[in-house]
Amino acid sequence: MLFNSTEYLIFLPIVFILYWLLKSSYKNQNVLLLISSYVFYGWWDYRFLSLIIFSSFLDYYVGQKIEAAIGQQNKKHWLLVSLCSNLGLLAIFKYYNFFADSFASTMSTVGWEVNDLTLNIILPVGISFYTFQTLSYSIDIYRGQIKASKDIVGFFTFVSLFPQLVAGPIERASNLIPQIENKRILNTNLIKTGVFQIFVGLFRKVAIADNLGVYVDAVYGNYEVHNGTTLMLATVFYAFQIYFDFSGYSDIAIGSAKLFGFKFNRNFNLPYFSKTLTEFWRRWHMSLSFWLRDYLYISLGGNRKGIAITYRNLLLTMLIGGLWHGSSWNFVIWGGIHGLFLSLEKYTFSLFKIKTFNAFGYIYTFIVVIIAWIFFRAPDLESASTIVATLFSFDFGSLFLGDINKFVNAIFLLIIGLFIDLRLFKSKISLEEYGARFSVVRLSILVSILILILCLFYSTTENFIYFQF
Amino acid sequence: MEQKTLKQLVKLTILIIVISYVVDKILFFSLNTISDNVMSGQAIGKLNQFLTVKDSADVLVFGNSRANHHIIADQFNDNAFNMGVNGVGIAYSSTLINSLPKDKEQIIIVHIDTKNFFNDDYDGSDIGGLRSKYNRNEEITEALDASGRVSFLQNIYYSINYNGSLIGILKNYIKPKYDYKTYKGFDPLVVNESQSAARDYTLRNDIAENCTDSHKVNQVALNYLMKIKAVKEKSKKNFIFVTSPIHNDPCDEDNKILNGIMSEHKLSYRDYSNLYKTTQPDDMSLWKDKTHLSNLGAEKFTMYLREEFLFLR
Repeated sequence: MLFNSTEYLIFLPIVFILYWLLKSSYKNQNVLLLISSYVFYGWWDYRFLSLIIFSSFLDYYVGQKIEAAIGQQNKKHWLLVSLCSNLGLLAIFKYYNFFADSFASTMSTVGWEVNDLTLNIILPVGISFYTFQTLSYSIDIYRGQIKASKDIVGFFTFVSLFPQLVAGPIERASNLIPQIENKRILNTNLIKTGVFQIFVGLFRKVAIADNLGVYVDAVYGNYEVHNGTTLMLATVFYAFQIYFDFSGYSDIAIGSAKLFGFKFNRNFNLPYFSKTLTEFWRRWHMSLSFWLRDYLYISLGGNRKGIAITYRNLLLTMLIGGLWHGSSWNFVIWGGIHGLFLSLEKYTFSLFKIKTFNAFGYIYTFIVVIIAWIFFRAPDLESASTIVATLFSFDFGSLFLGDINKFVNAIFLLIIGLFIDLRLFKSKISLEEYGARFSVVRLSILVSILILILCLFYSTTENFIYFQF
Repeated sequence: MEQKTLKQLVKLTILIIVISYVVDKILFFSLNTISDNVMSGQAIGKLNQFLTVKDSADVLVFGNSRANHHIIADQFNDNAFNMGVNGVGIAYSSTLINSLPKDKEQIIIVHIDTKNFFNDDYDGSDIGGLRSKYNRNEEITEALDASGRVSFLQNIYYSINYNGSLIGILKNYIKPKYDYKTYKGFDPLVVNESQSAARDYTLRNDIAENCTDSHKVNQVALNYLMKIKAVKEKSKKNFIFVTSPIHNDPCDEDNKILNGIMSEHKLSYRDYSNLYKTTQPDDMSLWKDKTHLSNLGAEKFTMYLREEFLFLR
């Protein structure tokens, strides 16, 4: 079920009412949340449920085993069971065809023809997200940072809680499980901030991102015939499309969770207002970047083992982060560009003994980010290379506008989106808290305006970009 | 949930529903007033102009952007109008044809894209382009209701009917794109020098898609064709169905099947997909891109239609 669908518009209020009717028992509320989450997830394809149920069983059992195991070695064995099983499932469903295909290509370059090894596998929605979530649970128990859950329904709800199930935020067990295993309270503040965030999220996704996407798709779908000016604008549009698409999704997720009394962690913090790439990664898809920092970068040694190892760790973390997004060399290169520039930044900071760049840093960061986005958006490596080559040939001819009405709509909505972000940036109040500033009457007026903007400008793209990951 | 929180929640919900509902109606009726005075632009203006000329025009052309850019209606008759609109299909055209007066003698040229007729994904959603007339024009309202493409939200928030067209309406209201009094619906595609290089490159590298064995007729498209046939049978109109030239279409099986369907239903159909491929294969100046003719190509094609159909002269 999509957040921007009529089904969700009906689903959310029904679950909300039933949930608060069961307020006398948080355990009953958890049962309702679990059933609702499975309905929400099964709406795509009920067969995927078996995988998430298996994953939940496995980590519930392994979590208890890790905690009960005596000695670090035994704990490690059980942790390996969790790592191998979760990553194994991810490898089969997400990466098998990629590696099989890459292997066959490599063999053919050395003269060995290998039969087609790829399989007809459908990627279950959200598998990368819930796999990382359950992995963090097992690792945190192994590290002694949390206790294993003894409440099976609560744990299954933690894995599948519908607002964050499909595309995050990747919630840590240390944040979410204590909320699931305790009574939740709904207050006016949560309602106001939650409702406001849901509607701003819908506006970001359905109005801004989807309208920008029309132009981006038209240009990237026919990139060979467009000049540098058009490709440049389409790439800048894509940078904002993916930002408003994914941050919009996160806003709806966080806002929906608030209506059930849950507080999720923030996932975006105005990432294009970053003076360095390091800062960008503290503001972009924060739940993933912090996950990668805590469970991969630090596990590899972080910056504790000398400067060369630090650079290696940075690069490796970003390469794996890139691969997490999808089974394609484009994502690996995207991660590689970020890893490389993060390392260069670290080197520059240590050389000049500075902590950040001046105002030009905003431009530098944006340029690096949009060049990397080309690899993220282009359908394959060949097209990405062609687009980069066209851009750097500085062939800046006349601009392709496509459908002029849609183009003007996209620009108009982008300006509104940027204006809202600029206001948030200046006020230094996060969107998560912004709704609390308004009285009920003022909030109603603002939400009504957003509803009318949605009516007038919604576009009909089916999916959220991050669902494919 | 505390009593105070519940009160606030109910208050917020009621206020959002009431305010958004009332403001939506004010906005919708204001937009109706403005849009009714807009006579230029593809989305609203052209439809308004069509609704004013449809009862008196002698020749009308329907179809998508290929109809719009390929057929110069006023070369057939001074009292002609081309109602070809970018991105629309047979659902849109059929609904407008159904709104024509039954007793008026008219020549109706319907442009059919063969590919769309066999496209499994075609669902008739192009009828949504007529939403601005929902509940304001009987035939359009009936067709939209019958299409099942009116969401329940559309019956609550009327301004959805103006989705995507607000800026265009305001722009055309303040500064009309053209003088509608001299506009006959045809929009020529002019290729300038810088575009011609890209056009030539694209056309020279135009690799034809592989032909498929499956030629299942899209039922939605067929149903709308049958609605046009019903209009034909109940009125005094002369219908011509045409497919205009396309740059490179080696698959003729679908064209043959469509020809068969048209013959079966006694509808006059001419397929000109390969007209220029056989007569002027190397003349790039006839083209704007792979699927659209340039102004020159359109002029030649219109002349060709005049020669083929004597009653169009």
